[in-house]
Amino acid sequence: MLSVEALKIRYGEVEAVRRVDLAVDSGEIIALVGANGAGKSSTLGAIAGLVPAVSGKVVFDGVDITGLAPEAIARKGVSLVPEGRRIFAGLTVADNLRLGGAMHLPATEARAREEEMLELFPILRRYHRVKGGNLSGGEQQMLAIARALMGKPRMVLLDEPSLGLAPQLIDTVFDLIAELRRNGLTILLVEQNVALALEIADRAIVLANGEVVLSGTAKELATSDLVRQAYLGA
Amino acid sequence: MIAQQIINAVSLGGVYALLALGLAIVFSIVGLINFAHGELMTLSGYALLAALVFGLPFPAAVLVAVSCGALAAVAMERVAFRPMRGASVTSLLLTSFAVSSLLKVVFQNGISARPQAVAMPSWMTGAFSFGDFTIGVGPSISIVVSALALIALELFLRRTVTGTAMRAAAEDFNVVRLMGIPASRIIATAFLLSGLLAGLAAMLWVAQRASVDPLMGFTPVLKAFIAAVVGGLGSLPGAVAGGFLLGIIEVLLQATLPAAVAPYRDAIVLSGVIAVLLVRPQGLIPAVRVQRS
Repeated sequence: MLSVEALKIRYGEVEAVRRVDLAVDSGEIIALVGANGAGKSSTLGAIAGLVPAVSGKVVFDGVDITGLAPEAIARKGVSLVPEGRRIFAGLTVADNLRLGGAMHLPATEARAREEEMLELFPILRRYHRVKGGNLSGGEQQMLAIARALMGKPRMVLLDEPSLGLAPQLIDTVFDLIAELRRNGLTILLVEQNVALALEIADRAIVLANGEVVLSGTAKELATSDLVRQAYLGA
Repeated sequence: MIAQQIINAVSLGGVYALLALGLAIVFSIVGLINFAHGELMTLSGYALLAALVFGLPFPAAVLVAVSCGALAAVAMERVAFRPMRGASVTSLLLTSFAVSSLLKVVFQNGISARPQAVAMPSWMTGAFSFGDFTIGVGPSISIVVSALALIALELFLRRTVTGTAMRAAAEDFNVVRLMGIPASRIIATAFLLSGLLAGLAAMLWVAQRASVDPLMGFTPVLKAFIAAVVGGLGSLPGAVAGGFLLGIIEVLLQATLPAAVAPYRDAIVLSGVIAVLLVRPQGLIPAVRVQRS
């Protein structure tokens, strides 16, 4: 469904991504793991069109989307939930959701979709008229995911959904991600919490210093010596 | 006398508020302080003059003039600012200065450096009595128009998808694009609104003076810029508050200062501005903006 070939990203002199190749099939969860600064978020940013690639190619559904504007990529059905949630703090929960679906669905369908989201995230119904900035971190993460789902994307890029959340909230968020996959959504998950990521993913890719150092099924990686020593602390 | 001064003060404040709002809307979305905003005002003034010369009835001429301001703002973005998208703040600022100077020269050489009289309808310069007070028609209309424009803008920003997207873009533009909303549409709308507001302000300004000249926009937009900074640059409620505050203080000082001190009015007003910024460096009502690396 999505393939990234020989992606290279540079910020000024700094090479953030040397070479990343990856492929995501329809309906699976792929985890992109690695240490801070390994190039995970930059890779997601390049797929979503926020970060320009120096070279390489991003293909979604057989269409080359390299270098397209973020809004164009979003409308092809790829939705990024950015790191740090980045909900609109001054807008109500309702307005945050509405913007998520505004360009993808006609008004009546958007309302029905919003209702689905409020079923999926009951907490958002309770705070429907509250400004996003007044929600807690976990609630904001729910809102960010719901906002990204409003436009019925075919693929979601999740950047560090567990960051800064209390442990029981992390469980809630990950249960939700698993449920979304069961409903047929394709997910590319960037996560620093490697153990958690391997628990939920079908396959995983390990990045270090902007390069793929290991990839395989989540089970294989969870038992590999490199991953156990470097990331799982075993 | 006092009632008349209060009306004048609120009326001038309203014009400043409209102009400051136009600057603030563009700044909140693109981070550009558009110094060519005054030329949008001047252009609307000339458009009114031309429409009246061509014999259009007054309301139609006003409509044409305000639309010209709005369209010119959109054209300005297309021609001058869109190629500079992503450029540094300094480059954007210099571009806006260039556009401003260019238009001024075009007005001076293409039309005339001297003020041109605009035939305002006679009822605009009249006055009506309200109990013991005599109140000018022009300033009263000005207040009503400013109030209606503010309400309409508020409704647009709250009730429509594009308006909501603009409020969101002022917080975090990239995430708005991630929602599939085109950057160009948001930016063009910001300029369209700023041009509309400049056009309206131009009508109110010309109504008080019955003439247009190439430098007409300079002083009011300078004041509006000060108002926007006092209010909190990029904050829309701040721009409105700053505009009214500045207009009201200017008129009230004008009315109450003894003749010997009167020439220092602007100096006194600007000292007040400095005092406000010392106490509140982010302005009266700071803008909410998420800064990201």
